[in-house]
Amino acid sequence: MFKVALKDILARKRRLVTTGLAIILGIAFLTGTQVLSGVLKDSIESLVGTAYEGFDAVVRSPEEQDLGFGQQIRSPIPEGLVQQVDQVSGVRKALGVVETTSAQLVGTNGKIVGSNFGPPTIVYNWLDDPQLQVGVLKEGHKPAEATEMVLDFTSATDAGYKLGDQVTVSAQTGSEKFTLVGLMGLGEDGTLAGGAKMMLFTTPTAQRLGQLPAEFNYIAVAAEEGTSQEVLANAIAAALPDTQVLTGAEFTTENQKSVSQFVDILSTFVSVFGYVALFVACFIIYNTFSILVAQRTRETALLRAIGAKRKQVLLSIVLEAVLVGLVASVLGLVGGVALAWVLKAFVGTLFTVQSGLPTLTASAIATAFIVGIGVTVLSGLVPAWRSTKVPPIAALSEVSVDRAGVSRSRIIWGTLFLLGGSALLALGLADAGPNPLVLFGLGAVLFLVSVAVILGPLIAAPFSRLLVWPFTRGTAITPRLAGENAARNPRRTAATAAALTIGVTLVTLIAVMASSIKASVESTVNSTISADFVINSSTFSIGTGIPTSAVVEARAVPGVALASPVRFAPFRLTDAYSQQQAAADPAKAQKNPLGAGDAAPPGEDTFMLGIEPQSYFEINDVGNTQGTPKDLTAGTFAVELKEADKHGWNVGDKVPVYFAKTGVQELILAMTFDQSSGGGSYLLPLETFEANTLALFNTDFIVYVKAEPGADLPAIRKQLDAIVADSPAISVQDLGEYADAQTAPFDTFLAVVYGLLGLAVIIALIGIANTLSLSVLERTRELGLLRAVGMSRKQLRHTVIGESMIIAVFGTAIGLIIGIIFSFALSVVISADSPGIFKYTLPVGQLVIITLVAALAGVLAALGPAWRASRLDVLKAVSSV
Amino acid sequence: MSSSVTQTAAAGSIEASKIYGEGDTEIRALDGVTVSFEQSRFTAIMGPSGSGKSTLMHCLAGLDRLSAGRVFIGDTYLDDLSESQLTELRRDKIGFVFQAFNLIPTLSAEENITLPMDLAGRKPNKEWMDTVIDTVGLRTRLDHRPSELSGGQQQRVAVARALASQPQIVFADEPTGNLDSRSGTDLLDFMRHAVSDLGQTIVMVTHDPSAAAHSDRVIFLADGKIRDEMIEPTADRVLDLMKQLGD
Ligand SMILES: Nc1ncnc2c1ncn2[C@@H]1O[C@H](COP(=O)(O)OP(=O)(O)OP(=O)(O)O)[C@@H](O)[C@H]1O
Ligand SMILES: [Mg+2]
Repeated sequence: MFKVALKDILARKRRLVTTGLAIILGIAFLTGTQVLSGVLKDSIESLVGTAYEGFDAVVRSPEEQDLGFGQQIRSPIPEGLVQQVDQVSGVRKALGVVETTSAQLVGTNGKIVGSNFGPPTIVYNWLDDPQLQVGVLKEGHKPAEATEMVLDFTSATDAGYKLGDQVTVSAQTGSEKFTLVGLMGLGEDGTLAGGAKMMLFTTPTAQRLGQLPAEFNYIAVAAEEGTSQEVLANAIAAALPDTQVLTGAEFTTENQKSVSQFVDILSTFVSVFGYVALFVACFIIYNTFSILVAQRTRETALLRAIGAKRKQVLLSIVLEAVLVGLVASVLGLVGGVALAWVLKAFVGTLFTVQSGLPTLTASAIATAFIVGIGVTVLSGLVPAWRSTKVPPIAALSEVSVDRAGVSRSRIIWGTLFLLGGSALLALGLADAGPNPLVLFGLGAVLFLVSVAVILGPLIAAPFSRLLVWPFTRGTAITPRLAGENAARNPRRTAATAAALTIGVTLVTLIAVMASSIKASVESTVNSTISADFVINSSTFSIGTGIPTSAVVEARAVPGVALASPVRFAPFRLTDAYSQQQAAADPAKAQKNPLGAGDAAPPGEDTFMLGIEPQSYFEINDVGNTQGTPKDLTAGTFAVELKEADKHGWNVGDKVPVYFAKTGVQELILAMTFDQSSGGGSYLLPLETFEANTLALFNTDFIVYVKAEPGADLPAIRKQLDAIVADSPAISVQDLGEYADAQTAPFDTFLAVVYGLLGLAVIIALIGIANTLSLSVLERTRELGLLRAVGMSRKQLRHTVIGESMIIAVFGTAIGLIIGIIFSFALSVVISADSPGIFKYTLPVGQLVIITLVAALAGVLAALGPAWRASRLDVLKAVSSV
Repeated sequence: MSSSVTQTAAAGSIEASKIYGEGDTEIRALDGVTVSFEQSRFTAIMGPSGSGKSTLMHCLAGLDRLSAGRVFIGDTYLDDLSESQLTELRRDKIGFVFQAFNLIPTLSAEENITLPMDLAGRKPNKEWMDTVIDTVGLRTRLDHRPSELSGGQQQRVAVARALASQPQIVFADEPTGNLDSRSGTDLLDFMRHAVSDLGQTIVMVTHDPSAAAHSDRVIFLADGKIRDEMIEPTADRVLDLMKQLGD
């Protein structure tokens, strides 16, 4: 039987290649993403390791606040502390470190270098100690004058600067120029790129840029020869009980952890697409095998008729599947490494990744083989099992038209899956169970499988005929044949289309959500903000806001009625309800175990806006209120009614809140309002805000400007532009531009998502090409006959391409429908959460484009098979069996 | 050899040779065949297995090309035509009936019959269609798929298709080979009728002397050459001649 299996494989090289291709692609994508995230993690951890290598201990404030995404904001410490640390026994050298994100690098093109999603730009002071200084000079010298700076070499190249150039830095106080006197990097000789963009200045300059007057972010300590990190840290902690002391190793681990958190998010994101690709590939493998086995039903029947046992027939198919799965998995692994290599090269433009080929981990190899072989064997076994159940004689006389489209069990199973999937989806959306996302995902898979695979065949045939119906008027026979060919094997058509359905469902879901979010933002902006202009900062980094002088200057512009500044800062709610929430969330409860010395009590981190009550409520429509803007005096705050209800607060209550600067404070709730405008649920009058937040938060995050009625808007804009002309990161926008700017980062994200989904669609196309090749092979005789009675090569090509387009459009149509259903379900949930804000909007134009692209892709997938079909030798084809 | 190329010939060949393989393994499937088929006549081709009957038909019908010599349909020499011109010729001027598997499984009987005209984008001649359909007796079966028809019915649909576009000539390679004698006779009667009453030209390959008896003229092939021919054949005379040739 093994011989038969082997012969079978060799006799069908092309089929082997097509089946193999699907497995190879699926495995390659899965392995590639796995390998890449491993490489990223190792590289980043080792880089972070090198950066802080020289630190034996770190002394810092115990007051810290979580900003999410692994970013913490910690109170600075006074300069004088450095002296005290230096005196502790065992300390060789203690130096104060400035490490802030409060300035941006401006390139020679006048634009800010880097994006909101990329690694941050960090301002450091140069540490006059080779052991403590982060990184090594590669060229030039250290910054000695207040007007000199050093850049890491990658950023210098990216920004277009070389030694001796005047570098523009956009800081709080406006743009400044510095002379580039040195280039640095990580590693022993400064040749490794660290990812983050590093700008190094003299200590006073760095303190000024970081708004740290006579302060440092932390103190880096080098030990004396023979003093261990632990001994050193303990000695300092004993001498300075009010500080938090970490060993150098602990500090490195903490940094690695916060960076890997980011990498984890990235690799989870990428793996999700890996799994989507694999899911799609599974469909294709299964489908291809089903067709192969179906085509061989005659042969297996013959084998059985001449006495082979059912077990033997099954065994031969399993053997074939194992062989194909094995070879394809190996090739898939190779492809995966290649893919990781390409991705690595791309990531390598951001920071130095480990050199050499990405290495395969044992788990990546195991996953590849288990999935590759497992899926192939299952895909072969199921249809084979079904085929051996057919009595030999029935199989021998079988014609290649599938009449088993509609069976009762199919309807029952399909409905069960559909109901089960919908129920899980609903549970997931309703936030039930420990992991609603898993429920949602599982429900989505069940739903998709039920519609695309189980119920799909029921509608594939009528759909195909309906689709070509408008084209079959008169005597047009090619569309008719294409339609009938797609309809003759509904199971095959549906399963082939299903692969595409998955990709299109996701694309549709995302496209609809994106357009809805855009529409929502736009309508919220237009209905709740009555400003004429917005002065807006394009960077998200903390401490790179609009200088506070801008508001004052804006008010002085003739024709301006109001200018209202808004600031932004994180804080922690520490009331009973929030503490309870924090305790219930295991991720939060065990967060930051290293920061055991942190002073922050448990609670929930959120953010607040600092506002000027008189002007803010003039410009922002917050609906009905309890209390008035006048009540918002020092020591008070306002909150959105929904939040107040959740926490059980009433106007007049005292609410405990934790700030990194001032510790726990009791604020009085002076006002509640019905709707948040501009996203702010917690509003603090500037008096409260300034008293409790670090200097770096006390720049404006946004300034609303309202003109007097009938004022000359273009003239006002010109003057506003002049105010911020100095800062490339800050711009003046009208409301339309402002709404667009709010959703702009979203567009970048969308482009990435579409790109990744494009891969899933390409795999689906290979699936269509596969099915068509097999169908063409199967129908060789029929195609020969068509040619014999006078069908031209072109007509034959059109028939095959038409069939492909039908499959593609069918898959797309179902994907569109499911995507719209999913997005609608999501929108219902979102609307229930915050009524009246979410505007469900179908991006009709985009959806039409998706459909057209799918149809076009169908043409592409059919080119190969169509060409082969049209080149068939008529006589050989007619006489083939 | 008494046949010659005449002006009224619907199709024919001149010194047609078809050679497969090379050197020692060379097979002369056709070896200088010159033959013509007159209009509105029913010709049968007979001969032992491997004598080149199918090869001759395929070359005449533009499904295959000669190694040497020429074939023509009406006043068109096929050897000069390009692949796409040949395809058009097959579609418009020639009907072909194979021994089996003549129909497209996804199309109904009627669609199968009109297929060549649909491919050409031509409207079928309604009157002629009615005549053909009534003659084959398939009016009640027009909407059925091939899989719902018996073998005999399928062959009749195939013949109807071959006739429907009123081609210059119809070739049928053992059209009754897979049928029982009853269905076979029905089909032969129908072809006879198409020639006598409708003026069609039909060339048919057969192994069966009684089938050959339905024709106007029988041509005997052996080893790729024409051995003999018989006008107004009867089953007995054909059988006699076959015995003679076999000796
Ligand atoms: N494609 C081919 N390659 C090589 N030889 C071929 C090919 N097709 C036919 N032949 C040979 O040409 C000769 C004539 O074949 P052909 O099919 O014309 O015979 P036939 O008279 O139709 O026989 P039958 O009555 O069995 O159908 C045979 O010897 C056959 O083996
Ligand atoms: Mg033959």
